[in-house]
Amino acid sequence: MLFALVVGATTVWSLLVPDALDKFQVPQLARIFFYHFPCAIITSIFLFIGPYMAIRSLIAKTPEWDVRSAASNEIGFVFGLLTMSTGMLFSKVQWGAWWQWDPRQTSFLLVLLLYSGYFVLRAAFSDETKRAANSAAYGVVMALPSLFLIFVFPRLPQVANDSFHPTTTIQKGLLVGDYLHVTLTMLVLFTVLSAWLYKLRVQAGMAEIALENLNGNLETRGGHPAPTGVVRPVHLSEQDREEAKER
Amino acid sequence: MSNSWQREIKAIVRKEIASEIRTKSGLATVGLFSLASVVAVAFSAFNITLGGSLASGLLWVTLLFSAAVALPRAFVTEEEQGTGDLLRLIARPEAVFWGKALYNLLLMLATAVVLSVLFFTLVGKGIDIPWLYAVCLIGSCASLAGTVTLCGALVAQASGRGALAGAIAIPLLLPLVALGVAGMRVALGEGVLKGGEEAAVGLVCYGVATLAIGPALFAAVWKS
Repeated sequence: MLFALVVGATTVWSLLVPDALDKFQVPQLARIFFYHFPCAIITSIFLFIGPYMAIRSLIAKTPEWDVRSAASNEIGFVFGLLTMSTGMLFSKVQWGAWWQWDPRQTSFLLVLLLYSGYFVLRAAFSDETKRAANSAAYGVVMALPSLFLIFVFPRLPQVANDSFHPTTTIQKGLLVGDYLHVTLTMLVLFTVLSAWLYKLRVQAGMAEIALENLNGNLETRGGHPAPTGVVRPVHLSEQDREEAKER
Repeated sequence: MSNSWQREIKAIVRKEIASEIRTKSGLATVGLFSLASVVAVAFSAFNITLGGSLASGLLWVTLLFSAAVALPRAFVTEEEQGTGDLLRLIARPEAVFWGKALYNLLLMLATAVVLSVLFFTLVGKGIDIPWLYAVCLIGSCASLAGTVTLCGALVAQASGRGALAGAIAIPLLLPLVALGVAGMRVALGEGVLKGGEEAAVGLVCYGVATLAIGPALFAAVWKS
């Protein structure tokens, strides 16, 4: 409740700050930075958390760490999508095109492709143990290209000069006054939101596992374990067979 | 590296080469795929003089897809033929990975050399800095072999593994395209030498990193 109130108040505050008149085609749209920047930071943080959880999953080999590993990649993917969509909206208004192969845009797209590869690999295994081990290994391998794409590629001299994306606004102290305060507040709120979503996703994942285990342990009428995923032969009485023959 | 490790790795490489010589299916597949893709690229660039950037980009695309088609077979065929379990019993996981990765590296180097000769002959382009081109090609092949071997191992027991290996390997390899193109375009006469050297070092480091972490990750999934 308190969190919802703070989010509402900060959203109102973000709408009340004066328009950014310099360098913007539509000054009101400069406020998208309040949402775009925290999403990008959260995605970058989850790029570290994901491989960490994957390593823990490979070491511990327990369903809990597998759920944590998958949840961290899911949250990273969702915030990556939000970063991409807010960035594309700004790009269209400011520079006239949804997509322009900007190094930052491209690197984020490739990170989303890496995340997609992780989810595709998870979906390809029906066995939980193999799914956990293989997807965790992929989660670790993902770390090297992801970190290269986010932290190295956009800063390479060959491509950095072709980028419209501002990279040193905060370091140069150009973000000041209400814009700085709203941005920092939003960053804190998005961090809390992502942690809360992560916790909920882990709880949901653990509940799914508990439910599956419960179903597996349920007894059928004959006293045998429930045939989850297994088609068993059906017993026919003599009368049933005669009737089937007649039909 | 102790003698027992060397023996196991050599045995895996010899086994791969022997089974390839017997069936020739891997070489035939990658050979035909490479030839067809180079012809397609040369055909689509008909009457166009390719600059260094575009030529290196097109060459990298053919290398990338040749690797994605050919290399995952190393593990997928083991599971299809039912020989994976025997391999699990007789060799350590790290030795299996190294053996398969070395075989894939040899296959990829052979493919890259043939692809390069075909590509430059068909598009009529020369190499300005051969040593840089060679370093970029070796670094690229090492990175491709390490990454795709691991992806092949990850999907070997999955459903729909044929297409899956390429689908999960290509996103991992896309950062390499940036480095590969940056290095090769300089070797083909565009850009400054310093940038090309940095990209070549990046490629080699990426290959070393992939081949270094590959065995550890492979050991975690091979017997799961």
